[in-house]
Amino acid sequence: MSTLAVSAPAGRRFGIGAIVLIIVGLFVLLTLAAVGFGSTWIPLETVANVILGGGEKTEKLVVWQLRMPRVMAAAIAGAAIAFSGYLLQRITRNELASPGVLGVVDGAALGVVLFLAIFSNESNALTVSVAWQPLAAAIGALTAISLVFILSGRQSSSAIRLLLFGIAIAAVAKALTTVFMLVGPVYQAAQAARWLAGAVNAISWSEIQIMAICLVPTVLVAAWLAKDLPPADLDDVSSRSIGLNLPVYRIAVFFVAAVLTSIAVAFVGGVGFLGLIAPHLARLLVGRSRFAGILTSCLLGAMMLIGADLLVRVVFTPLEVPAGTVTAIVGAPYFLFLLMRKDKTNG
Amino acid sequence: MADLVPSRIEVRDLTLTYGHDTVLDALNLPIPRGKVTVLAGPNGCGKSTLLRAIRRLHTGQKGQIFLDNVDIASLGAKDLARQIGLLAQNPSAPPDMTVEELVRLGRYPHQAMLQPWSEKDGVAVNRAMDGTGVTGLKTRRIGSLSGGQLQRAWIAMVLAQETDVICLDEPVNHLDMAHQLDCLDLVSKLNQEDGRTIVLVLHDLNLAARYADQLVFVHEGRVRALGQPEELMKPELLAEVFEVDAAIMTDPVHGRPICIPRGRARAAVQELA
Repeated sequence: MSTLAVSAPAGRRFGIGAIVLIIVGLFVLLTLAAVGFGSTWIPLETVANVILGGGEKTEKLVVWQLRMPRVMAAAIAGAAIAFSGYLLQRITRNELASPGVLGVVDGAALGVVLFLAIFSNESNALTVSVAWQPLAAAIGALTAISLVFILSGRQSSSAIRLLLFGIAIAAVAKALTTVFMLVGPVYQAAQAARWLAGAVNAISWSEIQIMAICLVPTVLVAAWLAKDLPPADLDDVSSRSIGLNLPVYRIAVFFVAAVLTSIAVAFVGGVGFLGLIAPHLARLLVGRSRFAGILTSCLLGAMMLIGADLLVRVVFTPLEVPAGTVTAIVGAPYFLFLLMRKDKTNG
Repeated sequence: MADLVPSRIEVRDLTLTYGHDTVLDALNLPIPRGKVTVLAGPNGCGKSTLLRAIRRLHTGQKGQIFLDNVDIASLGAKDLARQIGLLAQNPSAPPDMTVEELVRLGRYPHQAMLQPWSEKDGVAVNRAMDGTGVTGLKTRRIGSLSGGQLQRAWIAMVLAQETDVICLDEPVNHLDMAHQLDCLDLVSKLNQEDGRTIVLVLHDLNLAARYADQLVFVHEGRVRALGQPEELMKPELLAEVFEVDAAIMTDPVHGRPICIPRGRARAAVQELA
């Protein structure tokens, strides 16, 4: 009896460890493949060799300057959005929560569209560098989440009210985005549409650097907050009675999740549904374990965006189809499946 | 009687309003050390609110609550959680959480950044699970438990907190008769063997009279009466507080007063007519 009780969780932990290892392996393989694939195929061992510091000059150029940035951007952004989704699903105790419903993605879109409208001249050319576009997206995203908190006021201590305010703000931002795209010049509409769908093809190392620099402190704060996720699994009264001020904690987690997503979408655009699917799959695979759950979510999110980008390169070349369309095409049915299943189980 | 035992908790001028409704109205209440205090009263009288207020869970509550002469407003969230435990009326946890995971959460206030999980925590968790008889259920998921098992798992969580004061809000609400007795006997054992101070909200007046050392009638946001069950179980008082016309007898098994309601109290019936 006692041996059983001791060995059961250990066995579970071993199982989770194996699953995480397999996912790490798949992640490495997919990354190498994504870098290897292009107008000319570079074998995986050559890619690995270049990454580890070897290789010829041309190989280095292709791997580091041409292919690596988009794969890297996809990995970082996908992981950040998935982490954000994990935090939201856990804190709301709702597997259908995702960064999209906080108004962050639509707020960022509005920021981009406004940026393009304000800084275009009569001949449809931008008067400032397009490098400022991520900043505009981040400002839009943070404005949206701030509005959600300001407008919800005292109701922000309730998870469901906060989500409803997020959905309302998202709807307003989306409507305004459409208006600006319709009344704006053609160049602007096309550029905005690219951003909305989400694409990693045009990203540069310097942008990746900025993204990483913004993400490091945010991830550290998120990881520090994550230590209190288990007591936050309980209802408000129970969690407060064991010493966690859940309403305040919940607001902090919402905010950090919003910032994580803001940073990612500012650079890669409105990649949909990653933040919903990755943490959900992670939970199916590794269960409630916090560390494994976060790690698996991030890896799956990274793989999904890398995979989506790889897919558009394989299927649509030479057309540049935004990777976000793939995540949306795959993600939307999955979302519907979740909704229908939930309906069934809840009777 | 209450003067002989120094109060563990002293509630002074506690006032709580929701909008225009005054839920608690300058309420004063001593809670004696090492005794079982039961709060009773009609629906909406503020007894559950009072219990949560003792644990300082309401924002905007006015007045003071002293724990061993220390105003609890001066204590940190975790400090307070190490001294007063509270089981909510309808607690909820994710259905795929295991019983052991739930009970371990009771150790949360004892943990700090640099001192994550110690042997002491493990001992407390095991003792709490043994005491409530859920050790055999520890790998079971919350969603798969029966009502009685679930209630015991939650009580184990509160016990793992190792607080001297334990507050339970209608702990026997959804339980059948046998499990009601199990639960209250367990609470009474904690009181008698470990000397813990217990505060209960109970709906059933006869159970209240049976388990209480100090019975408190809460009525319209105030303490209407408090004392030993024998002093409070009087027809006039029950008519006033609960609006029932009841006969009081002595329970032949435990020697405690029990009430048998005949119907609504006459004053209340007239009011309705």
